[in-house]
Amino acid sequence: MKPLASDRAFLILLAAVLAVALLLVISIATPFGLSAYLANVIGQLAAFAVLALSLDLIWGYLGILSLGHGLFFGIGGYVVAMHLLKHSHEVTGKVPDFMQFMGWAEFPFYWTGFGFFPYALLVTAVVTLLISGVFGYVSFRSRVGGVYFAITTQALVYVAMLLMFRNDTGFGGNNGMTGFTVVFGWPIGGSRVVIAMAAVSVLMLGLTLLGCRMLLAGRFGMLMIAARDDEVRLRTLGYETLRLKLVVWCLSALIAALAGMLYVPQVGIINPRLLAPELSLEIAVWVAIGGRGHLVGAMIGAVLVNAVKFWLSVAAPELWPFILSGLIVLVVLVFPNGLVDLAKLKLVRPTGLKHMASGTPELR
Amino acid sequence: MAIQRCSQARSIQSLWLTGDWFGRLSARKGRQRSVHMMRRVFIAAILFVAVWAPSLLVAAEAGHADLMGKLCGDAASLGDVGRALVGIAADGSQDERAWATPVARAVIDRKLTCDTKGAVVISGEGSFDALTREQRVAVEGGRSPFLNLKNRALFETAVAALALRTAPDPAQRGAALRTLERQAAGLPEHLFEAAAEQESDAGLRAQMTAVAQAAALNSADPAKRIGALKRISATPDRRALTQVRALVADPAYAGDPEFKRAVDAAIATIERGITAGDVLAALYNGLSFASILFMAAIGLAVIFGLMGVINLAQGEMIMIGAYVTWMVQEGLRHLAPALLDWYLIIAIPAAFLVTAAVGIALEAILLRHLYRRPLMSLLATWAVSLFLINLVRVTFGTQNLNFVTPFYVAGGVPVIGDFIFTWNRMFAIAFAVLTLGITWGLMRLTPLGLNIRAVTQNRTMAGCIGIPVRRVDTMAFGLGSGLAGLAGLALAPIYSVNPQMGQNFIIDSFMVVVLGGVGTIVGTVVAALGIGQINVLIEPMWGAVAAKVIVLMMIIAFLQWRPEGLFAIKGRRK
Amino acid sequence: MSTFSRRSFLQATGVTAAGLASPIGMPAIVRSAHAASGTVKLGCLFSSSGTMANIEGRLNHVVRMAADEINAKGGVNGRTIEVAVSDPASDWPLYAQVGKQMLEQDKVAALFGCWTSVSRKSVLPVVEQANGLLFYPLHFEGDENSKNIVYVNSPPASSVLPAVDYLMGEEGVSAKRFFMLGSDYVWPRTINKQLKGYWKSKGIPETAWREEYVPLGFSNFQTLVNQIRAFADKGGGKPIVVLTVVGSSIPDFLREFANQGIKATDVPVLGLDMVEADLEGLNTEPLVGHLNCWAYLQNAKSAANKTFLKQWAEYVKAKNVPFKGDVVIDPMVSAYNSVHLWAMAAAKANSFDVLEVRKAFAGLSFDCPSGYKLGMTAENNYVSRGVFIGSVNEKQGFDILWQSKDAPKPVPFSPYG
Repeated sequence: MKPLASDRAFLILLAAVLAVALLLVISIATPFGLSAYLANVIGQLAAFAVLALSLDLIWGYLGILSLGHGLFFGIGGYVVAMHLLKHSHEVTGKVPDFMQFMGWAEFPFYWTGFGFFPYALLVTAVVTLLISGVFGYVSFRSRVGGVYFAITTQALVYVAMLLMFRNDTGFGGNNGMTGFTVVFGWPIGGSRVVIAMAAVSVLMLGLTLLGCRMLLAGRFGMLMIAARDDEVRLRTLGYETLRLKLVVWCLSALIAALAGMLYVPQVGIINPRLLAPELSLEIAVWVAIGGRGHLVGAMIGAVLVNAVKFWLSVAAPELWPFILSGLIVLVVLVFPNGLVDLAKLKLVRPTGLKHMASGTPELR
Repeated sequence: MAIQRCSQARSIQSLWLTGDWFGRLSARKGRQRSVHMMRRVFIAAILFVAVWAPSLLVAAEAGHADLMGKLCGDAASLGDVGRALVGIAADGSQDERAWATPVARAVIDRKLTCDTKGAVVISGEGSFDALTREQRVAVEGGRSPFLNLKNRALFETAVAALALRTAPDPAQRGAALRTLERQAAGLPEHLFEAAAEQESDAGLRAQMTAVAQAAALNSADPAKRIGALKRISATPDRRALTQVRALVADPAYAGDPEFKRAVDAAIATIERGITAGDVLAALYNGLSFASILFMAAIGLAVIFGLMGVINLAQGEMIMIGAYVTWMVQEGLRHLAPALLDWYLIIAIPAAFLVTAAVGIALEAILLRHLYRRPLMSLLATWAVSLFLINLVRVTFGTQNLNFVTPFYVAGGVPVIGDFIFTWNRMFAIAFAVLTLGITWGLMRLTPLGLNIRAVTQNRTMAGCIGIPVRRVDTMAFGLGSGLAGLAGLALAPIYSVNPQMGQNFIIDSFMVVVLGGVGTIVGTVVAALGIGQINVLIEPMWGAVAAKVIVLMMIIAFLQWRPEGLFAIKGRRK
Repeated sequence: MSTFSRRSFLQATGVTAAGLASPIGMPAIVRSAHAASGTVKLGCLFSSSGTMANIEGRLNHVVRMAADEINAKGGVNGRTIEVAVSDPASDWPLYAQVGKQMLEQDKVAALFGCWTSVSRKSVLPVVEQANGLLFYPLHFEGDENSKNIVYVNSPPASSVLPAVDYLMGEEGVSAKRFFMLGSDYVWPRTINKQLKGYWKSKGIPETAWREEYVPLGFSNFQTLVNQIRAFADKGGGKPIVVLTVVGSSIPDFLREFANQGIKATDVPVLGLDMVEADLEGLNTEPLVGHLNCWAYLQNAKSAANKTFLKQWAEYVKAKNVPFKGDVVIDPMVSAYNSVHLWAMAAAKANSFDVLEVRKAFAGLSFDCPSGYKLGMTAENNYVSRGVFIGSVNEKQGFDILWQSKDAPKPVPFSPYG
């Protein structure tokens, strides 16, 4: 991978992201700048972009497709929701809805301590690492890969969704959790707070971009690409691919959880729909459309697809599914490396027998 | 009043006998005067009857008019009518029953109209007045009496009781007996005895006697009670258990040792029967769920084994198959209504061919270009699934489709205990077996099947020896999709059919395929049976969701240990 | 990595800029200018795709029909109503998102939306923060009283308890044992909680009831119907099923129930969310006698209903609406009532401002197609509706078993837990 300093595209994108963050910060303090509504949309898009980056890390650069990243996104989201509810309860005394209709007088025991944000952060990290670690270790050790791995992750996120739909698991069930009133002591509805949260999202996006890029620029990045291209050869050369894959997998899961923590306070509700298998599939679609194997591509894909989805849900709701499916087919057939291919105008004749005319070889 | 008439009839009979006896006695001397008086009394009696009998009829007429009036009254009076009709079935004369039957039937079928002049029954031959049985049409503004639940139960009993005594067809009488069996305790005891007496069919007569005996559970005679217990334990179910268990509190239980023994024996027999029924029910439910899983997964197994393509549009193929079935039904409804009940059979080739065509089109247009990129083809098939769902939604609408339930998939047969053998799931099981047979036959006995197996085992080598790999791909994809279409057909009588229905089957079919081992039919069968049975066994304990979660976790764990599945042609370990 | 040419850089930036400048980012000024030219916008939050599409989709068209009717009479306060329809795709967070967009970007004067309590609860913080107004046309679990939501349909005291009372009474079936089967979310859980409290208050022991929950969209009811039969056969009094499953689970359950040979005279089912549209795909002959409870039934005998049914049938034909013109369900009528209530309040207040409109609610009265007069008071945002108990008939409709004398006063918070 090119050294960071000479990668012009990436630097420009990073600059753009930081510019937006700056604009948001200005909007907090002064009446100029973006409206709270627009800031909120930007913030949500930023969270989705972080999520796309996490998937791109393992899929684009390591060659492992996970169709269950919604699980880690959901973990981050649920933990932050629990924190917000507990915190709101401590500050305002408001009892969460799900406790009311379940008839519970107190929080279940596993809710203790969530009012304290660092604890919540710790729990996120621990739970994410535990689940991704165990699952990744067992899978990679058995050399489960490719399509099998993808399907198993879909089943995993489906199981999580089913569990979360049950009201008696104590996480709000189908209703999910909503009614967040306070975040870090400030009222969550206030326009200043909304813009501030969006600014934080965008800043985290910038940091994640930078962090991923630095990871990939070094030796670690080269190992990842080597493992993607030909894992057997890498193993023959004496490298321990299991440890490599596990580390990147866990890192990717953590980033996805971070995205969840950014997303939920801005949208004001979490419920098991976030864990739907279709949503996890959509993440792969964002990355594929934007450009798998390019950090820039993943981010642009996420932002673009979700922006169009927001717009069409109001403007022309009937059209959205057709447009999405058309886009996916187009990308898969004609621009296999997503919009980055379009940008370079590297189209491919869909004959199926030709290898793709780009630097990235066939991904199985 | 009926009982009165009965005893009066008997007394007239005995009077005849007495008269006869006295007639012989009158031959003796010395009794002439008393004989003469007897004769006078006798003639007076006959005259009395001759005058009285018509008044009986008049009274009967008045009773009927009273009933008709109550029929058009409020809920309480409707209840009285219902009870009266049951009484007629038990104690009334042949004519009374014949008169009452169409009235009771009409109330249930909502073919009775109450208007200002009385009540009118609308039947196939035209409408007639309920009381006089003359032809007449209902006056404007009439309304049908509305049955609330309590009255509906009464009238259903009345219809069944009347049918038991008067229906010409023994099958109808048998059906009525079955309906009445469940409430035998609440009916007049002699209803069944009377019906048995006049019953011509020997088998039915035996059944009626059995029911009559079973109804005698609370009679005074202990021998009858023990007989009733024996009869009841012959048809064990939870309702019977409740009835018999209640007898433990009966004073006879403590007092009479023989009774106690009979009750205990009955309880033991019934409990055994219930357990047997529960086990059978669990097996049957598991088998039916497994057959559904199998049909949804077999197409996927063929495709995945052959091309390594995970077809996320499989659920939509199932949905298309169900929609084609519906279109065949609608077509038959307009073109050949007599054949409407057979739409499920007639639609079999249609569902198969249409979905196979869709599958072949999908392969030729889209997947052909992705044949070395399974992950991309996964996304592509998901896009197609999204497209198909929304296409069907926009074309047909979002509502559930209306399916006629043919007679061969309606209802069920109670077997033992509480186990009911429902026909729609039997249809699904039979269909799954048929699908299995077809697939196996195709794979083992046809050249296409041979080619498919060869390409599954070793694609490159098969190509080298001259098998047209691309054509095999296309045909196999068509076959897989066609099988999914057949699954949709079999599911139409069981599940709601709407554009989203396919989504419920995706994850489950994948798990079946992956667990069973890619590309093997045996694997798919065994996996489907295993998953279906385990799911059904866990469900009553912890609920449907927990069952699904546990099963999925078990499969995921199993796959980590043995990723190639149960029966694998080729390994998945790199 | 290949070099990033200037062309591709421009393209990338252009794409980002286009994204920001897209209609989401368009300044509100452009939008509201359009609105100021003699129209007032109303927003709809009913899904036309996903699991709720079949039942929610109709409501969009009813709102449009009501708007057309009002516009034909001259509109509201001199402005014509324009209805903006969206598609939250049965995705609860998307209801909140779209609601926010409609309130803040499109500046709608009022929102009409939501069916499931989940969707309403996700829109609630949005309307409260943006100070909007949501007209909610479904009967629900109560226990809520937001100033920004108008509850156009009945809480349990006027929708569930009358039916349960009827079944427990002499006129009904003297029910003594209860099997509660519901979808797993807030409405069924709350309803069952309140019912349990109510039964406890009547001295009914806990052994007399049983609660089971299934996921939304569940369809395989074989085992559950077996359990219901076992429960019924245990004896101890007449059993009934209190059914709070929703959506496509209703016809699936009824089909399995009929297949196992259970009739309404054996074990009656009180389907609290069952509407005429749920019976559309079924053979209802073996199901005759099961009950439901709503503020409107299609067979209601009133002149207003006749007019409404004709109006809807004609509208379906004229505008090619993809739903049946001969099926009308309670939420449709409630949505129709909502639009009229809003129009009357806005006219009375002579303003579209939410605070003013809200003040105008007190004392409103409207002739509902059900035959009852709807009313609102200054106490809360609940609308008083009549009560119907319906009984399934062979023609996939409901006969009217019982109806209340007048529209009882709604009780927002249940005294039964």
